[in-house]
Amino acid sequence: MSRLAANARVVRALGMRSVRQTFRRPQLIAPIIVFPTLLLAIQTGGAGGAINLPGFPEVQGFLQFMLAGAMMQSLMLAGNSGGIALAVDIEMGFTDRLFASPIPRFAIVLGRLAGTAALGCFAALWFLAIGLIFGAEIESGVAGALLAIVLVTATAMAVGGIGAAIALRTGSASVVQGLFPLVLVVLFLSSAFFPQELMIEPAKTIAEYNPLSFVVEGIREPIISGIDARATLEAVLAILGIVALGLGLSARALRHRLRVG
Amino acid sequence: MPAISAEGLERAFGELKAVQGIDLGVEEGEIYGFLGPNGAGKTTTVRMLTTLLLPTGGRATVAGHDVVSAARAVRGSIGVALQEAALDPLMTGRELIRLQATLQGIPGAEGRRRADSLLERVDLADAADRRVGTYSGGMQRRLDLAAALVHEPRVLFLDEPTTGLDPVSRKTIWDEVRALNDAGTTVFLTTQYLEEADQLADRVAIIDSGRIVAEGTPDSLKAEFGNPHIAVQIADGGVADAEEACRRLGPLLPPTDARTVAVEVESGAADIPRVVRALDEAGVAVESLELVRPTLDDVFVAKTGHHLLEEEDEAEEEQVGK
Amino acid sequence: MQTPAWRTNLAMIGALMVRARNELVRVPGAAIPGLLAPTIFFLGLNGVFGALTQLQGFSTGTYESFIVPVSMLQGAGFTGAAAGVNLARDYEIGWVDRLLVSPAPRWVLLAGTVLAASARALIPATFVLAMALALGAGWPGVDGLVVCFAMVTAMAAVAACWGSFLALRFKSQSAAPLMQTGMMALVLLTPAYAPLALLQGWLQDVARVNPASDVVEAARQGFVGGVTWADTWPGLLALAGLLLVLGALALRQMRRTNA
Repeated sequence: MSRLAANARVVRALGMRSVRQTFRRPQLIAPIIVFPTLLLAIQTGGAGGAINLPGFPEVQGFLQFMLAGAMMQSLMLAGNSGGIALAVDIEMGFTDRLFASPIPRFAIVLGRLAGTAALGCFAALWFLAIGLIFGAEIESGVAGALLAIVLVTATAMAVGGIGAAIALRTGSASVVQGLFPLVLVVLFLSSAFFPQELMIEPAKTIAEYNPLSFVVEGIREPIISGIDARATLEAVLAILGIVALGLGLSARALRHRLRVG
Repeated sequence: MPAISAEGLERAFGELKAVQGIDLGVEEGEIYGFLGPNGAGKTTTVRMLTTLLLPTGGRATVAGHDVVSAARAVRGSIGVALQEAALDPLMTGRELIRLQATLQGIPGAEGRRRADSLLERVDLADAADRRVGTYSGGMQRRLDLAAALVHEPRVLFLDEPTTGLDPVSRKTIWDEVRALNDAGTTVFLTTQYLEEADQLADRVAIIDSGRIVAEGTPDSLKAEFGNPHIAVQIADGGVADAEEACRRLGPLLPPTDARTVAVEVESGAADIPRVVRALDEAGVAVESLELVRPTLDDVFVAKTGHHLLEEEDEAEEEQVGK
Repeated sequence: MQTPAWRTNLAMIGALMVRARNELVRVPGAAIPGLLAPTIFFLGLNGVFGALTQLQGFSTGTYESFIVPVSMLQGAGFTGAAAGVNLARDYEIGWVDRLLVSPAPRWVLLAGTVLAASARALIPATFVLAMALALGAGWPGVDGLVVCFAMVTAMAAVAACWGSFLALRFKSQSAAPLMQTGMMALVLLTPAYAPLALLQGWLQDVARVNPASDVVEAARQGFVGGVTWADTWPGLLALAGLLLVLGALALRQMRRTNA
C-alpha cells in the first residue's frame, strides 16, 4: 500500500474514533448546541428591534442576521471541546499509546479535528434548521446553505487546531476548559452578534480587524442576501490564516510533547 | 436493650436485593464485627443503621431509637467513620473537628477543647493546623475517627476503617478501637479482613450476598465449622490421583488453586503421616504439605461454598496479619 | 443550661459558611471564574448592543446603566449555580454523608450553602458595578444601590437553591450545565437586553410571566431613574416566591437523599 493511502487509513481510523466519542456523549454535545441556541433565542427576542436602527443591513428579521453568529459560537465551543478531548487523551495516556505506534504524528491531530469538524457540520445544520423552522429564509437557497455549512465546518477544524495546540502544550483538560470565557470574548469582539459599523468603541475597531468577523460575514452573506465573492474570499483567507496559526502552534506543541513526554 | 438491633432488615435497589432480611443484636459495650467480601452488603447495612439509607423492609434501632421514625435521635447518638474518609482537603485537621463539633451541637469553647484533646489522642496534634489535603492515608483515617468521636457517641460505626492502610497505621487504629471499647463505646465494625475481625471483634457476623450466614464469637465459629486441614501442593499431573487418595481419609475442601488438594482432618499434626502414606501409595509426587488451622475463611467456605478471599486478596491479608 | 436550639442552628450555619469561604481564600484564582462570566457579558453586551439605546422606548441614553444590573444578577446566578456544583462535588467525595449523618437539621445544611452563595455573590456584583461606573454608568443613588444589592444577594440564594436541588437530585457534577443554563435562562428571558415594549413578541410574552423580570426592573430602577416602592415590591415578591418554590424543592431533595 502506498504511504499516502496508509496515512489516510490511520487518519480515518482516528477520525472515526473522534467522531464516535463526540456523538456518544450527549452531555458534552448539549452545551455546545443548547447554550448557543438559548443565547440566539434571547438575543433575537431581546435585541430584535435593532433591525430598525439606521445603517442596519437589509434583513428579513434579526434571527436571519443572528444565525451566522450562533453557528460561530457553536463551532468555537466545538473547537474548545475537541481540545478538551485531546487533553483528556493525554492525561489518560492514550496519546502515549499513539506516539508509540508507527503512525505519522500529524495523524493524531488530524484525527481529533475530524470530530470537531463533524460537530461543526452538525451545528451548521442545526442552526439552518432552526432558522427555517422559525421563519428565517436562506436568501441564496441551497447553494448558500451548502456554502455556509462548508465554511462553518472548515472554521471548526481551524479553531480545533488551536484547541489541539493548547491541549498538546499543556496536557491539561482543565486548562483548556478554562479558556471557554476567551471564546466569548473573541466572539463579542467580532461582528458575530451585531453589524460591526453599529458597535460601540473599542469593540467596533477590534471587530473591524478580527479575522472571525470576516468568517462570520462569509457565512452570513449567503443567508441574508446572496453569495458574495468578496465576502467568501475574505472568509476563506481568514480561515486559512487561522488554519496556519493552528497548524503552526500544533506542530510546535507536538514537538514539545514528544520531547518532554 | 441492645445498642443495635435489626429485624428482617432489607434494602432493594430496583430488582437487586443488596440486603436480604438481616437479624442482629449488638449489646452495649460490644465490638461487633461484620465480615464479608466486597459487594456482600456490609456498607449498605451500615448506611441503613446510620440513617443514610432507608430500609425497604424490616426495622432497626440504634441506641434505642428507630432508624426511620427517630432518625435525628439516632444521629445524635452515633459516631460514623465511613468507607471513604470524606474529608475536605482545604480544611485543617483542627477546623474539621471543630466543624464536626458544631454540627453535633457542641458549644464553641467546649468544641474547641474537645478538638484539641482528640487531636492529641490520635497523634495529630503536630499536624492539626496543616491542610487535610497534605495528610497521608493513615493520618486521614485517624482524623476521620477523631471526628466521629467528638460528641462522645454511645455507638460507633466504622466501615472498613483500615482498608488501604499500611500495617503500622492499621495497628494504631486497632489500638484506638480497643481503647474506645474499654471505655464503654459500642463498636460496629465492618471489614473484609479476617485478621481484623478475629483480633478485634467480640462477636462476628459473616455476611454474603446480603444475608448473615454465620454469627458468633470468632473462636466458637471456628470451632463449630473448622477442623484443621492438610493442604498438599501436587507436582504436575497427579491431582486426580491425590484427590482419590485423600478422599478416603476425610472430606475434601474446595481447591484454592489447580494444584492444591486440601483434606479435612480431625487430629491435626498427628494426621500428617497418614496423608503422606496415602499419597505415596498412590504414586503422587508432592511439592509441599502444610497443616492449616481453621480460619474465618473456612467458616465462610463451609457456609457459602466459596472463599471469602480471592488469591490476589490473600497477599494483602498477609500484610494485615503482620 | 442547655443552649437554645436557634443558637445552635445559627452556629451550624455559620460554620458551614466559613467552610464555603475556604475555596475563595485558599485556592489561588478561585474567585476569577465567578468574576469573568458577568464581566465578559457586561463588556461584550455593551460593546455589541450599545447602539440599541438609539431606539425609541429606551429610558436611558447609556447602555451601561441599562445592562449593569443584568450583569450583576447574572453574576449572582452564576455564583449560586456554582454553589450547586460544589455541593455535587461534595456529594461525590462523600462529604455530604458526613453532614447528613450529623444531627444538624436538613434546612440548616441547606441554609449554609445558600447563605454562603448570597454572600459570595457580592464579589462579582461589586466588581461589575465598579467597572460599569468607571465606563460611564449612572450612579444609582444609595437607595438604588441598596435595592440592587438586595436583589443580587436574594437571586444568588435562588440560584443556590436551584443548584442544590439539581445536585441532590442527580448526585453528580455532570448536572452543572443544567444549573448554569437554567439560571441564565431565568435572568435573560426578561427585559434584560431592552425594555419590555421593545422585546420581540414571544420574548415579551415570556418576560411578562417570568418572575425574574420584576427582579431585573427592581434592580435597574436606580440606574435608569428613581427608586420607588411600586417598582421594588414586585421584585421582592418575585424573589420570595422563587425562594419558596426552589427552596422547598431543594429541602425536599435534601430530605430524600436516603431514599
